[in-house]
Amino acid sequence: MSSQDNLDPIVLALVQNRLDHISRQMGWVMTRTARSPIFSQSHDFSCFIADPDGTLVSQADGIPIHTGGGGFAVRALLRDFAGDIDDGDVFLLNDPYTAGGNHLPDWVIARPVFVGGDLVAFACNRAHQADIGGGAAGTYNSEAREIFHEGIRLPVMKLIARGETRQDIWRLVMINTRTAEALDGDLRAMIGSTKIGADRIASLVEELGMAQYRDYFEGILEHADRSFRRCVAAMPDGDYHGEEAIDNDCFEPVDDAIRVRLGVRGEALEVDFTGTAPQVRGFKNSSVANTWSAVYMALASYFDPDLPRNEGTFRTVTITAPEGTIINARPPAAMTMNTVFVAHEIVHAIWKTLNQAVPERSCAGWAKAVHGTTSGRTGEESPFVMYHWNSAPGGGAVEGRDGFNQIGHLIALGGLVLPNVETYEQLYPVLFKRQEFRTDAAGPGTYRGGTGADFEVEVKVGAEYAFRGEGLYNISCFGAAGGDAGQPGDMELSFTEGGTEKPPKYAVRHFEPLTLRAASPGGGGWGDPKRRDPARVLRDVRDGVVSRQAAEDIYGVKLSGNGKSVDEAATARLRAH
Amino acid sequence: MVNVEQPTAPWRIGVDVGGTFTDMVLRDQSGALWVFKAPSVPADPSQGVMAVLNRAVEQLSLPLSDLLGSCTLFFHGSTVATNTILERKGARVGLLTTTGFRDSLETRRGIRENMWDHRAPFPDVLAPRYLRQPVGGRLDKDGLELAPVVLADVDTAMEVFAEEDVETIAVALLNSYGNPAHEDAVAAHLSDFPWLSLSSRIAPIMGEYERTSTAVVNAYIAPKVVGYLRDLDSHLRDNGLARPILLLQSNGGAVSVEQVSERPVNLVLSGPAAGVGALGLYARSADTNNLIAMEIGGTSCDVTLMGEGQVGVTDELNIDGYHLATPSVEIHTVGAGGGTIAHVDEAGLLHVGPQGAGAHPGPACYGLGGEQPTVTDAHMVLGRLRPGPYAGGSVTLDDGLARQAIEDKIAKPLGIAVEEAAAGIIRLLEQNLLHAVEHISIQRGHDPRRFTLVAAGGAGPMHGASVARSLGCGQAYVPRQAGAFCALGMLHTDIRQDYLAVHFDNLDSVDGAVLQQAFEPLAARAEAALSAEGFSGERATVQRELDLRYRGQLWSIRVALPGGAFDPAAVRVAFDADHQRQYGHTQPGGTIEITALRVTARGLIDVTEPAPMPPSDAAPEATALRQVYTDSDHGWQETPVYAGTDLHPGFAQDGPMLVEELTTTVFVGPKDRLMVDAADNFMIQIDGAEV
Repeated sequence: MSSQDNLDPIVLALVQNRLDHISRQMGWVMTRTARSPIFSQSHDFSCFIADPDGTLVSQADGIPIHTGGGGFAVRALLRDFAGDIDDGDVFLLNDPYTAGGNHLPDWVIARPVFVGGDLVAFACNRAHQADIGGGAAGTYNSEAREIFHEGIRLPVMKLIARGETRQDIWRLVMINTRTAEALDGDLRAMIGSTKIGADRIASLVEELGMAQYRDYFEGILEHADRSFRRCVAAMPDGDYHGEEAIDNDCFEPVDDAIRVRLGVRGEALEVDFTGTAPQVRGFKNSSVANTWSAVYMALASYFDPDLPRNEGTFRTVTITAPEGTIINARPPAAMTMNTVFVAHEIVHAIWKTLNQAVPERSCAGWAKAVHGTTSGRTGEESPFVMYHWNSAPGGGAVEGRDGFNQIGHLIALGGLVLPNVETYEQLYPVLFKRQEFRTDAAGPGTYRGGTGADFEVEVKVGAEYAFRGEGLYNISCFGAAGGDAGQPGDMELSFTEGGTEKPPKYAVRHFEPLTLRAASPGGGGWGDPKRRDPARVLRDVRDGVVSRQAAEDIYGVKLSGNGKSVDEAATARLRAH
Repeated sequence: MVNVEQPTAPWRIGVDVGGTFTDMVLRDQSGALWVFKAPSVPADPSQGVMAVLNRAVEQLSLPLSDLLGSCTLFFHGSTVATNTILERKGARVGLLTTTGFRDSLETRRGIRENMWDHRAPFPDVLAPRYLRQPVGGRLDKDGLELAPVVLADVDTAMEVFAEEDVETIAVALLNSYGNPAHEDAVAAHLSDFPWLSLSSRIAPIMGEYERTSTAVVNAYIAPKVVGYLRDLDSHLRDNGLARPILLLQSNGGAVSVEQVSERPVNLVLSGPAAGVGALGLYARSADTNNLIAMEIGGTSCDVTLMGEGQVGVTDELNIDGYHLATPSVEIHTVGAGGGTIAHVDEAGLLHVGPQGAGAHPGPACYGLGGEQPTVTDAHMVLGRLRPGPYAGGSVTLDDGLARQAIEDKIAKPLGIAVEEAAAGIIRLLEQNLLHAVEHISIQRGHDPRRFTLVAAGGAGPMHGASVARSLGCGQAYVPRQAGAFCALGMLHTDIRQDYLAVHFDNLDSVDGAVLQQAFEPLAARAEAALSAEGFSGERATVQRELDLRYRGQLWSIRVALPGGAFDPAAVRVAFDADHQRQYGHTQPGGTIEITALRVTARGLIDVTEPAPMPPSDAAPEATALRQVYTDSDHGWQETPVYAGTDLHPGFAQDGPMLVEELTTTVFVGPKDRLMVDAADNFMIQIDGAEV
């Protein structure tokens, strides 16, 4: 259907701008009114607007791994409540198997928007809750083998019916969390944000008129579609293959892979995961919504940062995800970790494949995080859960930019802000000893990967450790365009009472006071390291992040005796062969 | 209005150095105003200052010695700090940090502006790793010493710094916000070094990244900025100025050169922050404490909100990607101005901004080679700007070029008429302005409909009425000196210095005497600063505030202690009320933590109101009738154009109309009514709303 011809192009631009503004406004209300610091600090939520068929038309604000995934939730709502959706209703859901959720901690509040008695849109908010019951505090149970170990499952439910909150449902969810006060406040913030959104959407639809508004929504989706079709059309037709290995199932080593084929057919793009390994025992399995989002995020981040991120953008993309695999698991597979791992692996697999099709935009891999959480109590104080963010790994390079030396998860494109150690020393019973760039850990390249960090922290009390060290011990990123992977991560526990231990990648354990040392992995490099600007190599050596030996052996750059300049002649000789 | 007569001594002068123009406002004893403009000289801003003074010398036929000799207060907003950062022209910085933590400056906590734009690199780090040298020693979170500071490490670092020609040193040691002893020991050890920036003096906040970054930026700009300001100050005083010049700081207050020489980083928002003074002035003349200012220049729009007479001051500032924890007026800036470029993307959608055409080549109608259509070009096509000399004759506007650019780049690709395209550009720009205002008001929990919109800057008065209508404001206030908003604001600025100390306590259980004792060192610094500026008695005020939060939160709210007295029950009431407004809920009976003590020192400058202008019942004549596209309902209308100098207090007329002022053009739509108030500014009533 093409509705472009009868649309006013000025009004179309105004509507696009306004819908994005409304979804951002919902986000401001959320960060301003939510109780849990996770929303203002980590921005682990997304606000979005869907049309009456459940197609996502705007998601200007939100964490990248939620890209384009909200439509699944709204379509599940439409499936379960057809004919039973009224003005004043508000829906709640989280289940990834039955309700279009991505993983259990992300709850969706969806509010239908009515104008003159007609359903015109949905205003929605998907947000990560502080605790939803399950086998471990804080939503991540590293030892889960079934979804039942991970917290409460919510089908699509009417939380508010015609303006009346259903108290039985409210009580049900409140007794299924360890942090009822936070959940209560955060749910109210989510509901409030969708109220603001719904009011603004209704005004917009009234201004456009019932006869016309759908054409404008469709015009926005078509513009997005055209934008991404241009990206696909620029790729040479053909099939491209790539894979990302999975070396553990959260319990023991495995040798599995996510396999992807990108089929470019003119302006159409097939993303086919046939051949991907079966679902695993641990909680890294992906849902449909999460896999689709990871694919969308990988594609959108690879091309233009200004690409619209509504579902129109991906109309030309067909995804094939065989059931029973790690990227489309069957119940009751555990899956809470999936928004980080295996989403990171999906993005890597797609980037690796795109690197063959569009080498000029190639991206090196971002190293995977090594850190989990430490939780416990300090004296009589309330319990704490501390994430060891300060051991964040190195990011991957692209042409023109070295990898970020320490950066948050790839699936947020580094959008998560690392804490100050001074703040954490105030909040938790810890003393930091070190957080500094590693030497010779960055993936070599014309643009090198991020260095990763040497990290050391003393934990002064006995505590529980939930390990999620995906980036430990083996290489977890890749080089691009002739660059190489960065060094793997490492971790060691040194007990205050004596003795040391290397923790497993995934586990939940209790330990008495200890010092945790980690070397977080370096990111992947881009391009031949022998082509790196010698001035940059000199700076790296002076900065101590590349050794003189590595400068000569890997980069072919010889420094003068005092180490303050490049020995041009010797460098030319080293680089000649 | 702008006078043609001689000013009556004594007077005050405000000089604001902007990117393109240096503005000067002189206000004499009677309250009458004179405005002068001269081109800025970015390479040496003092040349722009002298040029604008010389323009005043010529036009007033006064020797410079008299102009400066009769000036009691000389306020200056300078871009020198900002430009030193933007142009990377600062000094070579060495950084002394705690062993094991050399890299927080470069890691930047991973903060990036636009997470989707992952290909964009971080801005260059201002102190490279090889000039970040470790110093042994450690304080714990309470400021207690775990290991003594190792001054031998400082000596080792100084050898490196000497070899590397380091000109300026920042010192930022872990947990120094709680106890400056280790940084002080390093400073004492380096007492011979000319440029030292201690994090515990400059920004004693908790959080090593932001504190270090602030100290490093301070170190980076100090030699150039302090040197420049001292030179300018002595040059003006050699020419007759009696009192030291006063510089506008990011916190919206003024300070002398000597007082700011320890913390020149506080000058980064000098200029824009002076808008606060202007808001104070308009609050009195428009008789409301709730104003939102939209100052629109060539490339950007600065939005500032005054709620109940207060403009928010935060500890967070981002200048070109560098993070500063200095007290700064909350200003939300978006890329929307007269030179903002419109384009149609490859998939056929119209966008306006955020890119701008700058001064060169500027809008297409400037005829300086610009081919991208801008907002100014759209105004030309719609008849709202007149072809010919513009901005004091510095450019000549060509409506043919404007039309051509919009035809080629917008109208043809979209398949619409050129007028429709021009009107569309304006609608999209005004939508962006509306969103910018909503951003700052809704994020802070304010309802913009309760506010009066102040449309300032050279390009603001063209859009004030339209944006006010979309916001639901009843009125838009357009200052006669809209184009010299900041220079005028300076004349209404108090001396101000802010001091902070991190302090953790429980609001209900803290001993009031202990708290007062903790305030003492801050109050002493505040009083000494005021005394050094020559303020005492009733004209010197020291306000105490607490930063508070519910236990478990990561952000804080400031609550003032009226008269400095500590009454926990009253503080709780005030905190809960503000929490309710900002965050929409409270925790009745919840534990409230104190996280910091703040002291604000103010030296009060005499408030002098503008000279009242006698009302005039003379009916002014329009200078022209022009075909103007007014809005989508009315299309093209024959619209009277007035010279601003012909409109006096008491004037009132329904739109549509245009008013041409020296520094701006005011557009009044067909549904609006323009009035000139007793202060000689314009008030536009929207849809006949009650004033």
